[in-house]
Amino acid sequence: MIIPAEKLTQYNEYVEALDLLDEESRFEYIIDIGKRTDKATFPPECMDQAHLMHGCMSKVWIVHTQEDGGHRFRGQSDAIIVKGLVSMMTGSFSGLTSAELAKVTLDHVRGLNLGALTMQRQVGMMAMLKHMQKLSQRADLSVAADSN
Amino acid sequence: MNMIPQTPNLTGHSVEGSFDVERIRQDFPILSRQVHGKPLVYFDSGASAQKPRAVIDAMSQVLENEYTNVHRGAHYLSQTLTDRYEGVRETIARFINAASEEEIVITRNTTEAINLVAATYGRKFLGQGDGVVVSAMEHHANIVPWQLLRDEKGVKLKVAPIDDTGVLDLDAYEALLDGNTKLVAITHCSNVLGTIVPAAEIVRLAHDRGIPVLLDGSQAVVHGTVDVQALDADFYVFTGHKLYGPTAIGVLYGKAGLLAQMPPYQGGGDMIAKVTFEKTTYREPPYRFEAGTPPIVEAIGLGAAMDYVTAIGMDNIIAYEKALLTYATERLTAMPDIRLFGTAPEKAAILSFVQQGIHPFDTAAAMDRAGVAARVGQHCAEPLMARLGVDGTVRASLAMYNTTAEIDVMIEALERARTLFG
Repeated sequence: MIIPAEKLTQYNEYVEALDLLDEESRFEYIIDIGKRTDKATFPPECMDQAHLMHGCMSKVWIVHTQEDGGHRFRGQSDAIIVKGLVSMMTGSFSGLTSAELAKVTLDHVRGLNLGALTMQRQVGMMAMLKHMQKLSQRADLSVAADSN
Repeated sequence: MNMIPQTPNLTGHSVEGSFDVERIRQDFPILSRQVHGKPLVYFDSGASAQKPRAVIDAMSQVLENEYTNVHRGAHYLSQTLTDRYEGVRETIARFINAASEEEIVITRNTTEAINLVAATYGRKFLGQGDGVVVSAMEHHANIVPWQLLRDEKGVKLKVAPIDDTGVLDLDAYEALLDGNTKLVAITHCSNVLGTIVPAAEIVRLAHDRGIPVLLDGSQAVVHGTVDVQALDADFYVFTGHKLYGPTAIGVLYGKAGLLAQMPPYQGGGDMIAKVTFEKTTYREPPYRFEAGTPPIVEAIGLGAAMDYVTAIGMDNIIAYEKALLTYATERLTAMPDIRLFGTAPEKAAILSFVQQGIHPFDTAAAMDRAGVAARVGQHCAEPLMARLGVDGTVRASLAMYNTTAEIDVMIEALERARTLFG
């Protein structure tokens, strides 16, 4: 299965924007996204243990909801750079079904071309992706259990 | 030429003393590389130090021309390399002034050395209700092995507190040395705060009550002269890779009388005297604790690192690093948004800090962009972070090859971090 292109609009915008920037500007771009995340609404009550993603050097919270047949995510962190990264990940891959999310791979993360930009960024972003995949699968199982 | 200051000035160009840092830097090939288009500023030596050419060459030389297994070969290569390998044991003994090379057990690292003591001495001599005293500023490597022993044997972990400057509370420590305490295992120098503890006094207080002492010298052996006989330490442990040597080699010093009473750690080749299916007997220390093929090339590398440090002179290194620490402390404390942890009067050139209102991860990322390699997080000292009331810190750990000019680069990076994230 291929992920429909219209579902990756935000992801492709990030790819194109980052492609135009040099390394230093990419660093500042992510910081800008991180700062903008603060202006979006992330429910403060969701910055709790239940939504905490374990294993990060900074704290990362991800909230999952389901809308229009797709999974939606919002992310938050206590570090601005990580806030930028989690915002890019949740923005890029919201709206996908579980099956589509499962097709998102390390290649997509590499496609953002964050290269040598931030410390342990690819490992961290892959961990975010895996967490989102897990949340979507768990939600599907929960729906299936309710309908049985 | 950037000669080393007796008293550092604020420009990064100072000029007295007998220590030529530019010459030292030329001995470390990696220091000439760039990171993100900027000269590498390596402030992560507390995690692992860079290697001088002497170490790299010594290891290459063995691999290219002398390599074989040691101890049991009947051939020329094995005999000559065994001589060199065992010669390193003598070098290590001299480096920490052990009474004999037979008191030097070669391990993988500090962690293995502490686990070895816990699993052999600890299992044999400690039991239900016996206390092990550690400090509030231990690395996990000097906490978890004792917790494993606690779970197995029921020993109790007792924690000697520190004050807000990072100084060990000696009175509280002494109070923990009650009739139940059977071992003290304490860091000689904190990997987070840089605090150098009064090790000889710690040992004396314990010995007055007949309690043996293990000192974790992972950081201390890099930043100061260690004399295990003067300290009267019963066990002294450290790792090679922080001492400008390779990874995968560490040292357990143990007094001969104690090592002789300890059972083997791991079983296998090299550590046995005679093996039959019915009964096996073991060699004398230190070989009893060294099962299997040892880290041969790494040992040669560690020997070369110790020779290198000795040739420069530990007193020169101490004086230079003290000047660096003074300068870095002055520059950091002059920044209103920096909170520095660890201001003990006796401390090594390790600086842990946070920038007010900025996550340590972001601070370290801004430093990284400037080419400054530092560590961020809990530094394998989670209980200490809880004591300090922070989730983590940025740690700049300096070494003999760093300069005041590099400290200036870090300060500029911190100023930029404030602009970016503040």
